[in-house]
Amino acid sequence: MMTEAHSKDPEELVAAMAAGDSDRALSAFYAQYASTVLALLTKMLGSPAEAEELLQEVFVELWRRASQFDSSRGSVIAWVVTVARSRALDAIRARRRRHGDRQFEYQEGDALMTERKRPDVMASSTRWHQALRQAFQRLDAEQRAVLELSYFQGMSHGQIAETLRLPVGTVKSRILAGMRSLRTTLPIIHRAMKT
Amino acid sequence: MNKQQERAELLAALHAAGAASEQDEKELEALLAADPSLSEVVRDFQDSITALASSFEPLETSSRTLGRIQNQIANEKGGIFSRVRSWFRKS
Repeated sequence: MMTEAHSKDPEELVAAMAAGDSDRALSAFYAQYASTVLALLTKMLGSPAEAEELLQEVFVELWRRASQFDSSRGSVIAWVVTVARSRALDAIRARRRRHGDRQFEYQEGDALMTERKRPDVMASSTRWHQALRQAFQRLDAEQRAVLELSYFQGMSHGQIAETLRLPVGTVKSRILAGMRSLRTTLPIIHRAMKT
Repeated sequence: MNKQQERAELLAALHAAGAASEQDEKELEALLAADPSLSEVVRDFQDSITALASSFEPLETSSRTLGRIQNQIANEKGGIFSRVRSWFRKS
């Protein structure tokens, strides 16, 4: 285990954080993931100010839970995304409670990739992000809708069925089809990035 | 793919997409316990959804946020030296 966080290896950074390095390891970890986490939080919450506020809570929680990270269960980015998503869903649910739990209305176009129009996105888009977005845009609109509601809005298949006025079985089939499409897309992107 | 594998794939997809019910999660756990090789399917779907979640254009963060995070951590650690160091770093 490293104590001086010169390396940018994600697992080493997490190990150094778990060992108590809140200076260099945490700074390097933050530099590596903060902009990605902020993008996810902004996407989910729809409010840059709220997202920036939650960003602090997410990184404090990641710091607290660093010793629990288990690389056999997934990558560091998967862990980071899981914690960030969980906190964002807490905020979304709290907001729904404050607003009387009114019915969420899904509008096509709320779904994935709409952040392209945001003026505050960083100008320098990486090839990786461009390739990913192009791949996800190829997903069927119906598949994107159910993944949007489940993953980014935290809805169960029953709630999605109610929102989209579809049978539960159809919702499940679309989620499975969407996840299969994502799974087949990733190796193509990895290959594209190597050429 | 047999019936059990098909069922496990559906449950893994629901799990990764965050749409699984409590009952779905229990059923998936039982299937994984019976056949650990099915965990590969779960991992593939989780990697896919992680890629989706991290695909948005990175956004610049406020330069003060890291300082606030380190300050909060220093306060939680409770050590006076940690707090002083954090304060000097920010000023």
